[in-house]
Amino acid sequence: MTKLKLNLGPQHPSTHGVLRLILELEGEKILSCEPDVGYLHRGMEKMAERLSYVQYLPLVDRIDYLAGFFYSELMCRTVEKALNLEISDKVRAIRVMMLELNRIASHLLWIGAFLMDLGATSPFFYAFREREMILKYFEKVTGQRMMNNYFVFGGVRRDIFDLEDVENILATLEKKVPDYEKLITENPIFLQRTRGKGILLKEVALNSSITGVNLRASGFDLDFRKRDKLYCGFYFEPVVLEGTDAWSRYKARVLEIIESSNIVRQALEYLKKEGELNQSLINPLNIKLPEGEYYSEIEAPRGLASLYIKSTNEKTPYRLKWRTPSFYAVNLLRKILVGEYLNDAIAIAGSLDIILPEVDK
Amino acid sequence: MNWENFKNIFSDVETKGDKLIVKTNIAKTIDFIKNNYHFDVLKNITAVDLKEQGVELIYHLFNVEDEEELLVSILVNDVAESVSKIFDSAVADEKEIYDLFGVKFIGNDELKRLYMPETWEGHPLKKDYVENDERLNWNDKA
Repeated sequence: MTKLKLNLGPQHPSTHGVLRLILELEGEKILSCEPDVGYLHRGMEKMAERLSYVQYLPLVDRIDYLAGFFYSELMCRTVEKALNLEISDKVRAIRVMMLELNRIASHLLWIGAFLMDLGATSPFFYAFREREMILKYFEKVTGQRMMNNYFVFGGVRRDIFDLEDVENILATLEKKVPDYEKLITENPIFLQRTRGKGILLKEVALNSSITGVNLRASGFDLDFRKRDKLYCGFYFEPVVLEGTDAWSRYKARVLEIIESSNIVRQALEYLKKEGELNQSLINPLNIKLPEGEYYSEIEAPRGLASLYIKSTNEKTPYRLKWRTPSFYAVNLLRKILVGEYLNDAIAIAGSLDIILPEVDK
Repeated sequence: MNWENFKNIFSDVETKGDKLIVKTNIAKTIDFIKNNYHFDVLKNITAVDLKEQGVELIYHLFNVEDEEELLVSILVNDVAESVSKIFDSAVADEKEIYDLFGVKFIGNDELKRLYMPETWEGHPLKKDYVENDERLNWNDKA
């Protein structure tokens, strides 16, 4: 049979941004896949070398616009670590609440977009309806729906309010998530498109540096929130499934929404009792990190994100490096798509929850 | 962690802070660490341009069983050994470092520019990189 080279993307609607895959096909079977990224490269790391820390802070949300809080937190955390700033428990609770709400919003968008990729239109609207509530709350508190720029070095930009909105969100999720499950999880068409597709064994996942939900859906229990000081005192169980296929990655995300809302509830109960906001703010204009290397990490919705800063006691970092989880998921496509059929390619790539601004940095 | 055995085999290895500094044979060292100490994940490779000294490559290794971290670092000039045969994730990291720092990795067959166009001159994250993109000087032209 003749071989065919097929160009998928970069403007394909289901590549979630601008991912280009060069596929080699024999009939409908994929022989090899070569991802081509960089269409969204903004030089995040180069820009950091010219901007002071406070100038760079609003930019970091844009690394992953669906989970901006996580990158904000990472940046703040690294600077706080370098300057020995302690954050108060109330700030910690606010941050955890916002992060987990952000995680829920990100997973909801993924569910909608993934089902859209598979050709089901209605779940997209249901997922966006709930996500909208979260974004409305973000807008109320931070002034922005996405890319909130809410965390600052040593605290948060303003105190939290209208906690009953969060309670509303949780109550709605509690009602609606079982609805998704009824609508999607056991749907025969959905099962046929995802069951047994895109098998990712845990050895392969570890070797390819895959973390987060994708790894946990392959039966490996590794959640960086468990070793995270920020989450100290919050009780949760990482969602671990043995399925290894696209379906379990979907299921794991649905379960993680429930798990995250449990964490939000704990933070909420704490914040209701807490009084005034205590912050250890510093003058952001004069921030100079002491000479040395600083490294911190966080469990973002797509996996492990980390930040490395090398400082030479200047106003700008000498070198700043992001580790983004989707970067490795795109790299994995080279392997995971081989031997699969072309019509499953989108389902498999979609199930890994790749977001391109994060890959291109 | 028992490093005795390790130090016998690799005599030129130093520790500095929490970093293991390797002079040569990075691929062999990392392979040994992976197989004998169960560092099964290479979180990422960070490159830092240290001007005259060369480029420092920092390998962030992670032991998933004991949840232990290890940083292995090496100084290179333009050419380095690839670890892509040991860790598949390194393929992407090495591509990125080649693109932004110009370090060539021997043994990585898929090495090419990742973000910048193939025809781009220079490597943007090098400290001696000069921006000669004509679009930046659009104002002078008129």
